[in-house]
This record gives sequence, C-alpha cells and structure tokens, in this order.
Amino acid sequence: MMKNLILFASILFIGSNLFAQEGTVTGKIKGQDGLSIPGASVVEKGTTNGVATDIDGNYTIKVSNIKTAILQFSYLGYATQNIAVAGREKIDITLAEATTDIDEVVVVGYGTSTKKTLTGATSQVGGEDVEKLNVARVDQALQGQVSGVAINTNSGSPGGASSIRIRGLSTFGDNDPLILVDGVVYDSEGLNALNPSDIASVNVLKDASAGIYGVRAANGVIIIETKKGALNSAPRVEFSGYYGVQNTARRLDLLNATEYAVIKNEALGSSGKPLPFNNTALGEGTDWQDEIFQSAMIQNYNFSVLGGNKSSTYSAGVSYFTQDGIVGGDKSNFERYNARLNLGNQLNEKFKLNSVILYTNEERRALPENGIGSVLYNTINAFPNEPVRTADGRYSYLEEVTDIINPLAQIENSENLSSTNKIVGKEELIYKINDNFTFTNRVNYNYAAVDFKSFSPLVWYGPGKAQNTALNANLDPTQVEIADSVFIERGAGVFESRSTFVDVTAESYLNYERIFNEDHSVKGTFGVSVFKRYGEQLNGSAFNIPGNSVDFADISANLAPGGFLNNTGSFEYEERLLSTFFRGEYGYKGKYLASLIVRRDGSSKFGPNNRFGTFPTISAAWLISEEEFFKLKKITFAKLRASYGISGNDQIQNFAYRAQLDGEGVYVFNDVIVQGVAIGRASNPDLRWESTRQFNLGLDLVVGDNFNITTNYFIKNTKDLLFQPEVSAVLGTNGPGGQSPIVNAGDVSNKGIELELAYYSDRQKELKYSVSFNTTYLRNEVLKTPEGVEFIPGAAFGVGGGVATRFEEGYAIGYFHGFETDGVFQSQEEIENAAVKQEGAKPGDLRFVDQNGDGVISFNDDSDRKEIGSAIPDFTFGFNVSLEYKNFDFSMNVFSAVGQEIIRNYERQQPFANQLDYVIDRWVGTGTSNENPRVTDEANRNGEFSDYFVENGSFMRIKNMQIGYTLPENLTKKIKSNSIRFYVAVNNLLTVTKYRGFDPEIGSAGGPLAAGVDYGFYPQARTVMGGFNFKF
Amino acid sequence: MRKINYKNFGIVLFTILFSLTACEKFLDLEPPFSQDADNYFTEPSHYELALIGAYDLLQGSFMNLWIGEIASDNSIAGGESVTDSQGLHEIEAMTHGSVNRELRSVFQWNYAGIARANFILENKNNIDFDGKSQIIAEATFLRAYYYFQLVKYFGDVPLVIDKRLGADEVTEIERSSKEDVYAQIESDLNFAASNLNAVNPVKGRVNKWAALALLGKVQLYQNKFAESAASLDQVINSMQYSLIADYRNLFVVGNEGHSEVVFDVQYSGLEGGGYGCLICLEGNAAPGFQGIRQYNGPIYGDGNSYNLPTQDLYDSFEAADNIRRDATVLNLDSFINQQPNATSITYAIGGGGHTGFYNNKYIKKQGEIGLPDNDLTSPVNNIVVRYADVLLMAAEAHNRSNNDAQALLYLNEVRARVNLAPISAGGQSLTEAIWSERRYELSGEGHRFFDLVRTGKAATEINGFQTGKHELFAIPQIEISLAGGNWNQNSGY
Repeated sequence: MMKNLILFASILFIGSNLFAQEGTVTGKIKGQDGLSIPGASVVEKGTTNGVATDIDGNYTIKVSNIKTAILQFSYLGYATQNIAVAGREKIDITLAEATTDIDEVVVVGYGTSTKKTLTGATSQVGGEDVEKLNVARVDQALQGQVSGVAINTNSGSPGGASSIRIRGLSTFGDNDPLILVDGVVYDSEGLNALNPSDIASVNVLKDASAGIYGVRAANGVIIIETKKGALNSAPRVEFSGYYGVQNTARRLDLLNATEYAVIKNEALGSSGKPLPFNNTALGEGTDWQDEIFQSAMIQNYNFSVLGGNKSSTYSAGVSYFTQDGIVGGDKSNFERYNARLNLGNQLNEKFKLNSVILYTNEERRALPENGIGSVLYNTINAFPNEPVRTADGRYSYLEEVTDIINPLAQIENSENLSSTNKIVGKEELIYKINDNFTFTNRVNYNYAAVDFKSFSPLVWYGPGKAQNTALNANLDPTQVEIADSVFIERGAGVFESRSTFVDVTAESYLNYERIFNEDHSVKGTFGVSVFKRYGEQLNGSAFNIPGNSVDFADISANLAPGGFLNNTGSFEYEERLLSTFFRGEYGYKGKYLASLIVRRDGSSKFGPNNRFGTFPTISAAWLISEEEFFKLKKITFAKLRASYGISGNDQIQNFAYRAQLDGEGVYVFNDVIVQGVAIGRASNPDLRWESTRQFNLGLDLVVGDNFNITTNYFIKNTKDLLFQPEVSAVLGTNGPGGQSPIVNAGDVSNKGIELELAYYSDRQKELKYSVSFNTTYLRNEVLKTPEGVEFIPGAAFGVGGGVATRFEEGYAIGYFHGFETDGVFQSQEEIENAAVKQEGAKPGDLRFVDQNGDGVISFNDDSDRKEIGSAIPDFTFGFNVSLEYKNFDFSMNVFSAVGQEIIRNYERQQPFANQLDYVIDRWVGTGTSNENPRVTDEANRNGEFSDYFVENGSFMRIKNMQIGYTLPENLTKKIKSNSIRFYVAVNNLLTVTKYRGFDPEIGSAGGPLAAGVDYGFYPQARTVMGGFNFKF
Repeated sequence: MRKINYKNFGIVLFTILFSLTACEKFLDLEPPFSQDADNYFTEPSHYELALIGAYDLLQGSFMNLWIGEIASDNSIAGGESVTDSQGLHEIEAMTHGSVNRELRSVFQWNYAGIARANFILENKNNIDFDGKSQIIAEATFLRAYYYFQLVKYFGDVPLVIDKRLGADEVTEIERSSKEDVYAQIESDLNFAASNLNAVNPVKGRVNKWAALALLGKVQLYQNKFAESAASLDQVINSMQYSLIADYRNLFVVGNEGHSEVVFDVQYSGLEGGGYGCLICLEGNAAPGFQGIRQYNGPIYGDGNSYNLPTQDLYDSFEAADNIRRDATVLNLDSFINQQPNATSITYAIGGGGHTGFYNNKYIKKQGEIGLPDNDLTSPVNNIVVRYADVLLMAAEAHNRSNNDAQALLYLNEVRARVNLAPISAGGQSLTEAIWSERRYELSGEGHRFFDLVRTGKAATEINGFQTGKHELFAIPQIEISLAGGNWNQNSGY
C-alpha cells in the first residue's frame, strides 16, 4: 500500500517534473507611498494565467515553472514591472507611478492594444484629466488636451452642444466623428447625457486606423470607456462635488445714451432729416447688458463605488448636475440626473458577462440664441436711451427698429423646455475558447424619449414687431379667417412633441492572439455588426390657452373653438447598417509591426446600385529603439508609424437616392388651404458614400524616462462629397419643398502637422510636476465643386443681405467673400480724382478696392469681391501644467487658436440700432478717420459685406486653473477616509484676444459654412468654483 | 478538445455570417408613409393632388407685382435699406445684371411650376376617368402661364414639354427661340380653352375664359392684333364678366371673386411662414411688404415699405380721375392729416427710399391680416387678369387691327365706371389714349413695365433704360453655368 503510494507520488513527481516545476508565489504590491495597491494584476508572462491583488494588496499565484516563470505586475497608472521568479516563493513589489505610458492599454475598435504597439495615429485622455476640468460635457474636456481635435462650443448656454472636428472639416455636411461609449453609438448632442466623472478613458482614432468602423469613420472615431471595477478589490467609495458661480467673462463696449444720441443725431441729420434728440445730455442711460447678464450657479455632485470579488466586478455611480444661464438664469437652465452601473461577471472559466446600463434624465430650458432675433442680439442693438420699463410699468417698446424687441420682455415670454429620458446599455458575453481565441457577442442599445414643450403667450412687444402674437397692447388675440368671412380668435399657443430615438447594435467577433516561436506575434479580429436606428415623433400645437398663462400650457387645456386652429404632425425614420470587418496584425520581434483592416459595410442610406462599400486600411510601425544599432541612450523609445486607408461617411438624409412625393404642393381653393402632392428632392440612384483617403506619418519618442514626444503629418483627402449643390432651375426643383438631388461631387483636402510634448518630473521627489504642450497646424482646401457650380453659398451677412461665406474651389471651407476696403474717402475731391469709380460714394464712405482693375467697383457681381478671411485657425495650441507639492496641487490648462477670422454680424445695420463704441472714432470730416466710415442713414454702400466687418479671431484662453489641498493622512485616517481633497478653480479665467465680440471661441451652430459668423454668440461663462473629493 | 472547440466555433460564426449576408434584404427599407414619384398616377385622386401642386407655384405672383412696377416709372424699390432685396433696387436703377436674387426666383419658380405641370402631362395617359380632361386642361393652362412669365422676362428660354428632365440632360438643353416658346404657349392655351368648362364652380380654379383671356394677352404681346381681338371678344361676349361699380372695392378681401376677376391667384392668411422661403407661403407677401413701415394708426397695418409709387405716377392722373388715383396710390401724409387723431398716427421711413406714397391696391389693412408674421400671410388674392384689363387689351387689339369703333366702346366702358368722360379719338392717338388708360386703370398691378416694353415706350419713360438691352432681363448667370454654360446671355448683359 505504502509502496504504491510512493510509487504513485514519484510518478506524479516525475511526471510533473517532466513538464515543469510548478510552484506558488505570494507577495504584496505597494505603491511608492507605501500604501498597498488592491486590484493590481499579476500575470505569468506569455500565458493567460493571472490574478489580482486583494484588498490588502496581497496576491497568490500558481506558476507553471517556478524557476523560469516571469511575472508581470501591472496597475493602471503605474509602470508595469516584469520580474523573473527565479525560484522565489515570495516576491514583494513596489510599483512606481508611470511616467511614460507606452504600456498603457488602449481600447481600439473591437479589441485593445498598447500605446507601444499601436500602428495608427491616436490620442488619449485619461479619466482624471477629464474629471479635473469640471466641465459639463466630456467633449469640452478634450479641447486643448490632444492635437488634431478641434472642439468648438456652439453656445455657452447650459446644455449647449459643441462641434467636434478631427483633423479639420472634410465635408460640406456632417463633420461629427463617430462617438462610441462602451461600444454604444452616441451623437455629439447625446454627449450631454454622460457624466464626465464616469469616464475612465478617451481614445481618439485620428487616422485611417479608424477604418475598422468603415462607412462611418471618415470624420474619425472617439472611443470612450466608462469606469469599471477590478477583480478582488475592496470597495472604493468616492463622493465629490463642486459649486460655482458663473458670470459673463466679457461685455461689449456699446454706446451709452449720450453717445448714442449724438451719433444718431449725426446719422439722421446728415440726410437732412429732423434730429431725433433735441437734448443729447442723456447720461449713461440703460446698460442693457447689465440688465441681461446675471450671476448664475453651477453645481455638480457625484457618488460612486467600484470594486470586485474574485469573479465579478462592479462600478456604480449616481450624479446630479445643474447649471443656470448667465443670460436668463433659470430660463436657460440645464439639469441632469445620472445613474450608471457597470458589471463584469466571470460566469465560469470560459464565459464572462459584461453589462453596462446608464440612465440619464436631462431637462433643458433654452432661450432664442445665436441668430437674428436672439436675446443677445436684441441686447446689443437695444437703445440705451430707453428705460427697461416705462413709467407705467410696461416693458419699453424700442419702437424705432421693427425687428429689435426688448430682450427682458423676450426672456419673460420665452418658455421652452425639453426633457430627455435616456437609457444606454450593453450586454456582452465573452467566450474564451482557448488561450488564443476569444469570441465576443454583444448587444448595445440606446433609447431616448425626448419631450419638448414650448409656450407662446399672447404678447405685444411694440408696434410693428414681427414677434407680436397679440393684436395690440391690450393683448387682444388676432382674428383668423378660417373660411369665407368666418373669424375665430387665436390666443396663446402651445407646441408639444414627443420623440423616441432608438438604436441597437448587435456584434459578434472573434479575436485571435498568439506568439509563434517567440518572435512572431499575430493578432486577428474578424466579426460582423448589425446596426439599426429608428425614431419617431408625434407633435401637436394648440391655441387659446386659458389665462394666457404658462400654468395652463398644455394641449389638453386649449380652448380653441372647435379645435380649428390646432394641428398635429409626425415623422418616422429608420436606417440600417450591415457590416463585416477584419483586422490582422503582425509583429516581428516587437520591432516591426503591421496591420491590415478591411471593413465591408452595407448602408440603407444608399440605393441598390451602391449599397455596399469596402474600406481597407494598412498601417505599419517600426520600433527603432528596439534595434541593436540604435545607440542613442537618451532616447529610450522611438517608433516610426505610417498608415494609409479609406473610410466613408454616410451621414445624409435617408432615401436620398430616390424621389418621393414629399414636396409641398399646397394651394387655396374655395378659400380653404388644400394639400396636394409635389416631388420633394429629386432622385439620384447612383448616390454613394463620401470616401476619405488618409495618409499619416508619425513618430513617437520617449526621451529619458519622462519626456514623451509624438508628432504626425497627415494628408486627408475626401472625395465624392455628398451635398446638394444648386441645380439648374430647368429641373424644376425650386418649388416649395423641392430640393436638389444629393450628389457626390466635390473634393476637400486637409493637410496638417500635429505635435504633442509631455514632460513628467520625477515622481519620487517632493515637488512633482508635469507639463504638456500640443499644437496642430491645419490647412483646409476645397479641391473641387460640382460641375457648373462655381461655389456653394453659405451664411448671409446682415438682414436680407448677400452671401458672406462660400464653399469654393481653391479656398478653405466656408471662407469669407466680400470687398476689401482701403480706408475712407476723405473728400469729394478724392472721390472725383480716384482712379476707380465707386458709384454713390460720398466723403466719409468706405473706399473699396477694385480687384479686377476695370476702374469701377461693381456691386452687382463678384468681380471686385475676394477672400477676406476664414473661420479655420491656422494653428491651435494646448498647454497644460500641473504641480504637486506636499499636500498642495495646482493645475492650469490653456488653449489658443491663431489665424482665424470672425464676421461681426451682430450689429443691426439700422439707423436707430445701438452700436459698438468704435463708432465714436468715425469719420466726421477730412482727416478724422481713415478706418471707420461716417454715420448716416443716407443710402450708402458702407453696409456691403467687406473686411470692415471681419475681425481677427485669434485668442488665447486660460480654460481652467485649479488649486487643491489634500488633508494630511493622519487626519484623514481618523474619519476612515483614504483621501480628502478640497479645491478652488476658475474656468475661463482669462481670454486674450483682439476680437470685439462676446467670445472669440464661436462654434458653428449653423453648420460648416456658418462657422465664424457671430450673431451675438452666447458666451462661455467665467466660473469660480469650489469643490471637494472624498475617497473611502 | 481543442479541435472540437474550433469546429463548434466555426459552425456558430459561419451560421451567423451566412444568415446575415443572405439577409442583404435587411437593408431594403421602404420610406415610411410616403410615396415614390415614379409609380404614381394610378388613381384619379393622384391627378387632382398633383394639380394642386402645379397650382402652388402661382403663389409666386407677388414678385410680378414688385418687378412689374419697380422696373417701370411707377415705383421705387423701398424697403429697409438699399441692400434689403438688393435685386429690386438694381432693377429700379436699371443697373440689374446677371446676379439678381429676385430675377433668379422668377426663373426658378416658373420652371418649378412647369415641371409640376409636366409631371401630370407626362402621365396623362396612365388611366382614364371622368373629369380627367378638365385636370389635363388646367395643367396645360398652368404650363402656358408659367412659360409666358419666362418669355416676358427672359425671351428665349429652354422648352421642356411633357417630361421631367434628368440631371444629366440639363447640360444639353438649348434655349428655344421666343417664337417657339410663344407657339407652345398658344397651342397650350388653345387646348385649354377648348377643353375647359365655361364655369368652374371651385373658386380659384381656371375656366375657359381665363384661358382665352390669357391667350388674347399672349397674342397682343406678339402684335397679333386680329387674333388677340378674336380671343378677347369671346371672353367679353361670354357675358360672364362685368366691371364692378366701385373701383375702390376691387382689392378688398371681403369682395374677392367679384365679377371682374377673370383669373386670380389665391392666397390664404391661415398659415404662417418665414422669410427664408417666400415661395412656400400660402399668403400673399405683397400687401405686407408694401405696407406702411412701422405704421401705428387706423385702417392700415404696418409693413415693410416696399414698392413705393412715384410722384410721377401720382401726378400723371388727370384731375377728374381722382377715384382711381386715390385707390391706386395712397398719399400717406395727406391721408393722415384727414384723420381725426392725426397727431397720434406715426410711421417710419425706410432706408431703402421714401416717396410719401404707398401702393393702395395691395397694402396691409386691418381686418385683412393673416397669422404672424403677418407681413407674409396676407389673404388678399392677386388678380392677374382683370376684366378691365381684358377690355383695354381688346380695345387695343381692335384699334391696332383697324376697328376703332369697337375699341372706343371698350375703352369708354372702362372710363365710365370711374365717371370719366368718353374719349372719341381714333388711329394712333386712340392707341396712345388706350396705353395711357392702361396706366391709370392698372397701375400697381404689375403690368406697367411689360406694357412699356411691349409698346416701345420704355426708353422714354424709364430712367436708365437702354434700348436693345433692358427689354429683357439677364438670364441669371448661375443658371447658365448650371445648365452647362452653353447658353448665350441676353444682349447687353
């Protein structure tokens, strides 16, 4: 018996000896601060055998061969260490905080990689950096953090969206990148739903490596991952919040009442009209900006917990955010409740289930903004000689200019509320088939229900105002004739809509990873993806709301006789995508890396002629520093990258390939409006996606241990631009509801250079600091417009004025087109003797430059107009500093854009509208001004769009400055907390610019061709805030 | 073990992939709740609905009220500033060229109307049903009307008949000669006249007499006097129409559809609209735009001070003709001074010009106001062919085809309505008298410029008018480019 046992044991022993000397290693992982690190990962290198440290940082791992095994210790934010076991059974490790992050895991499409082995051009932003900026939306945090990504706030109002542009404008239409949060598709509007503190990492795919997303990747891809727990880690509870006060960072220098009266007297007097002001000593008058801008609060609170046991991980959080507007206060409020749960479950050895669920409730109130008729537009143009309210208590009418209304009355009568309930989620089942194969199946979904309501009370802004809804100052309702001589009253109205937006993505993909003969690493990804998006809306409007009061603002309360004026509407849409994709990666000795991506997409946006497209990308990298001949000791890492690929953009209206009877054919028979049919958009059965061909050459360097350099050069050419150019009238598409066919015509090129520098000081020292700098140079040019189309017109200048921006071959997208000025005519003599005849010119008028040299300024064609600016900056810069000394920390972020122009389009060109005070330095006689023309209400050409209205939009802005203090540990421990930090911060502290408007950082709310046109932009606020961060 | 896993996996993946790729039908979506343009006209209601779509473009007629007056000696452009509707200011000054938004609108809207009429006519043989011939005749009338606008403004224009043009065909199409266009218009109107019923019970739909009246006008524009007289006589002899007693009630909403309306464009005040798409309006833009700027007082509403009559027009009326003068031109200050509360009445002067006069036929009046923005939604119909115009055209056609007796009869019928003494001239002096009468009777209705051109008087009456150039407007340059760049521009531009 005993013998047998010994034999058996020796067989076992011998047997195991034959293969390997198994063993167990234990130990503890600590940080440099001496605190243990729970949740750190310990992996036997070259295998998938791994464990995580427990709450006290302890680990126990079985290794296959205790003599030869190498253990890899890693934790996010710390430098990975590889330690040969060499027979030891206890290994304690102190991990150093990572200075260079080339081993950082990066989430790329359908898989992960490390910075070290990436072959594409990407930029990452860590969750901490996002959180620190205290912004409402994650995209705002990206500005100035990475090169090649331009973020422009489209409105400073709470809940306002940004435009996100990766490597420039490449199309006339939708330039938004594809945004994926935990694999779920978001649109840029939808980013409002995300709490920035929930974000673990942001990765921006800038070059053709985005091609793994095929027909939707042409504008780049942003991959956002939310925070997840780690296996075997103690719960980490975090409670943080801030409260801040916002104020406008800027006021315009407008005329006060006295200045205004003098200027207006001069304007009207010059054309022989009676002077409007007998007495110009009106003092300061009303400062409408004082009346309109207010201090407004902003606050945010987050509570989160994350951790895990041996088989499951969790991360959960709730947050609340609210922000009032600096214009309109709570009438311009944005509020968000957010709850999130991320779960990971190791069901058994083979299967893992990951679940993400995010619920958001958003409420947004908005005022009319960014346009003619917006609150700020009215504020700028309102007359300083008028009081806010007249002696009898009503709002003043500002009668002299029809389309300017009292902005305070406007705020009071604006009632818009949108309320969004949104659920985003993912269920992902990962089947680890064996060491090499992993099979992932997942369903991602996005469900949003948006309720919108606006109330339009009976209101009288003054005689002749287009915004009046009442018949007169008594607020009598207008009478509407609904049939021959049948009149009914039309009282206060309410509009309500309910929309549902749903998208579902189902994906299956197989990942393969294997190292052959130590030198050949092979990775492969192959999968399919099915995407479906649909939405619908039902809306209604009703009139005669009782009491003219918002308290009854609901369709159900309407008293419209017989409901005759009430109306309903609806729409529904659906689009689908069917895709297969493949990515193969090969690495030789960790020195030479190559990757091939092919994606085939079918999109319901296109007709049967062109439904499917194939998008290939190749990329390669050479890790020069791994070569033996590489002898530069200072440079510890050097990688040269190149990529080339084709990706697509399918962001156009659905069914654009076919003609439908969705035009407007409405006429009046027997005094009743009758609906007929008409062709809407003309068909184009050959419609296809835009394709972007992008070449990228990049270099990544690490100097010493702590200085990272990344640079990229790219050429991005977009072909077959999807747009609706004007077509010949003879086609008959210019009727109501008619549209040109959408065609593929036009090419755009973006070329640029990006540079990112980052330096981290020695983490061991008491004073720790890091400095990073990035810059992007970009040149945008339209290479081709559709045949016969000289240019595509963009935004208009003034009211009823000409086109100021264009899409035209040889110029940047949306460049400004108008007259060049050459000072001011000083005298009649000068006009008469001028070599160039300028019809109607009088002394004091702007002198235009004759571009075509024919001796005449032509006002009714383009021959004397030229390029006078562009909204696209030549360079953008980001500069970020952070310092830590003992318990204090400091950080600052600076963003700058240089070389762009802005059109000053917020001044109503009207005799009585108020103006900026530069008009004080106007021309009043020979030699008085060669810059600002005379003021007059005589017919003149000074209001023609010229460089007089174009200003330098370059600026530098300190976006965020923050000083924090962390309580000493001994104090913290007493209340069983790991860390307690308090801070004060200022967002938007200082802006250096020559621009005279509210905010030089104006987005492009009206699309790429309206960029740089300032209608009285809702500025970003300056916010002073204080916050705290408790960790348990 | 491992092998089996491979196999299992392969089967799973293959099954998924196969089922998906086999399901390319997954991408075959149909647009929800809407119809394709091809495969239409399968039932009678389709013709009816498409016809409404073809009528829709008539509502651009307010542009004729502007250009027909502003281009002539009758009015100036006005408006908020000289860059407000700059195209109209250029037309006023006779400096208009090939870049002109308003003229381009005329070009675009009329071709849109033609395309919609052609959409019906290319499908006219799909099915048969009672009432089809009326619909086809109305569509034919509309096409003729739209081509007539184009030929009046631009002369030679491309002729597209009974088909929709593809985007690639447009670069090959040539401008057809004015004569060919007129021949098509006449042929369409003859067809319409012989198929339309004498009475169309639906207000706003055209009848036989509208077609004949328009035909008479088209013939007059070609100096086909005898034919014109014959066409117009049929309208007159139909006894369907008569002059209403009070000239001042011609353009009042409450009086619409009166006995003098041969063909009018229908508008409604019941749908709002925006400045961005004037052709999308269901209201008439002219009364609001021609309204008194920032007016605060009785009777009228406030508007945009467009299309302001000149002193010359006001002064041209003979003293006895004050009914028509005052019904045509509002002398604003004089009107205000007659009001009991004159001092409390205010108005503003637009930067685009001021004459002191307003168009009193199409002007925003209290009680005729549509939904906000009510500058855009006037319910006032635009009378395109008025019986007085028919009489004066017939008078001219008879006079110029040597039938002065008949001509005098018609002319004096028009004069008698406003208590003016009969005229007893003959020959050329009668012709001159008829032409003058047209100005007194029809000013403010968009005829003047085209009458001056047609009668060869434009150069003497319009400042800056160049003979050999300004008879036609320039084809919009961009339309030449969009059509492949092969068309010649009209002479002088």
